[in-house]
Amino acid sequence: MVLSVEGLTKEFGRFRAVDNISLGLERGEIVGLLGPNGAGKTTTIHMMLGLISPSRGTIRIFGQDLAEERESILQRLNFTSPHAAFPGRLTVLENLLVYAGLYGVSDPADRIMDLLERFGIARLKDKPVSRLSSGETTRLGLCKGFLNDPELLLLDEPTVYLDPEAALQVRETLLEMQRLRRTTILFASHNMREVQRTCSRLIFMSHGRIIASGTAIEVTRQILRENREVPALDEVFVHVARRHRHEVLSR
Amino acid sequence: MRYLFTSPGGIVMKFYRVKAVAVRHLYEVRRNPSHLTNMLYWPVMNIVVWGFFTIYLAHRGTPSLVSSLLAAVILWGLFNSFQRDMAVGFLDELWSRNLLNLFGSPLSVTEYVAGLLSVNLIKACIGTVLEAMVALLCYHFNIFPMAVAFVPFVFNLVLFGLAIGIAVTGLIFRYTTKFQVLAWGFAGLLMPLSCVFYPLKSLPVFLSPVAWMLPTTHSFEGMRQALAGGGFSRQHFQWGIALDVAYFLLSVLAFRYLFESARSRGLLVKME
Repeated sequence: MVLSVEGLTKEFGRFRAVDNISLGLERGEIVGLLGPNGAGKTTTIHMMLGLISPSRGTIRIFGQDLAEERESILQRLNFTSPHAAFPGRLTVLENLLVYAGLYGVSDPADRIMDLLERFGIARLKDKPVSRLSSGETTRLGLCKGFLNDPELLLLDEPTVYLDPEAALQVRETLLEMQRLRRTTILFASHNMREVQRTCSRLIFMSHGRIIASGTAIEVTRQILRENREVPALDEVFVHVARRHRHEVLSR
Repeated sequence: MRYLFTSPGGIVMKFYRVKAVAVRHLYEVRRNPSHLTNMLYWPVMNIVVWGFFTIYLAHRGTPSLVSSLLAAVILWGLFNSFQRDMAVGFLDELWSRNLLNLFGSPLSVTEYVAGLLSVNLIKACIGTVLEAMVALLCYHFNIFPMAVAFVPFVFNLVLFGLAIGIAVTGLIFRYTTKFQVLAWGFAGLLMPLSCVFYPLKSLPVFLSPVAWMLPTTHSFEGMRQALAGGGFSRQHFQWGIALDVAYFLLSVLAFRYLFESARSRGLLVKME
């Protein structure tokens, strides 16, 4: 098991953002983490990075306890997040050189150029990050995410500001990594079609709890409680989001 | 508690990560005009203005004050810029929303502080040497022959600046930008009691014990003794270093508490 989470809970005062969740990811799996805003996806990912301390529960990555072996674990994984940015005055290349240094990447210049080419922003390498568009910044985040050739990737809405072509490119890269290196990927997204095309298994969260997990068709059946023949993740998402909103308002 | 603070095995740091942090801040110095202004322009302006004042004092028949004032300006400038840059360096990460990327990497806080410290030491040294050169060229005050006698006191100032920088950074982690003004203002709060431009005996009696508890006071008292030909003050150095160690340990403990509190509240990923 590459990632194993047991009884993970996070409380902010009286608010329980993540409520006793347990999940596991096998090597080479691409797993979608879904749920409406406020479901607890991002908090869960931030706990997996050690950026938020859990109230209860354990996180084991590569067989090691994150609380004890943070450095060696984070050396082998990477992430992208729409909440993270880069120093705006530094150029694209300078930012990536700094992160290559932090991850101890050997031959950083070659690796960086390869990634810049792959994500289509090589021409922007000398441009300050503050002058990039949202989509270009997202691609820079993806370059950072792939810098250390991670064994586990935690992707929080990795295609949120990308046009369809760029999003397709990202999906192809993820699938290629999974095929060639058996990279394990946790993929949080609101884009149901993308998730369905990319992920072999889904975990649906609402109010900090896991309400369904399995393949797209299994999740559809569990949540809609109907014996559907084809996955209907958009419908599932709307169903969960409405119920989520209704419960929030009734509280 | 070990999450972000140290690498496994205690306080062992990876040099390449410390270097990466240093490179990140050197890029910032190169690209950010305010860093260059703080490093080069303000030290020069500071010594120029105080230099004119010392010319006035010399004409009024108080030449002995001149050297101690100019030396105090130079050393206070070093302390002030060093403690400010420690906190501002961290604020640069916060303003650019880079904290999530930084601390989601294998980087430990110890490595981060070490990287920032190395860059800020270089910046403070450049500013100080520049000030000293201006003092020499424009006002014929040569601090360089006294450099050896001043080194222990400069060391004490740097250690105290580091302790303050760590404490202020901890407060910013926990209370976010509400406390960012301390990055620039904390040294100013200490200045009246640090006896920078006047001897300790000038203070009212009831303030003397408070001033005595500041390492800065001992550095400037020691500096004045050396300038007056009284040699190296072992007493002021020892008081200074003992207080520095105590404040440094306190600041590290406070930082750990504030940082863990911020992490528990999810503030690391929400800072703006």
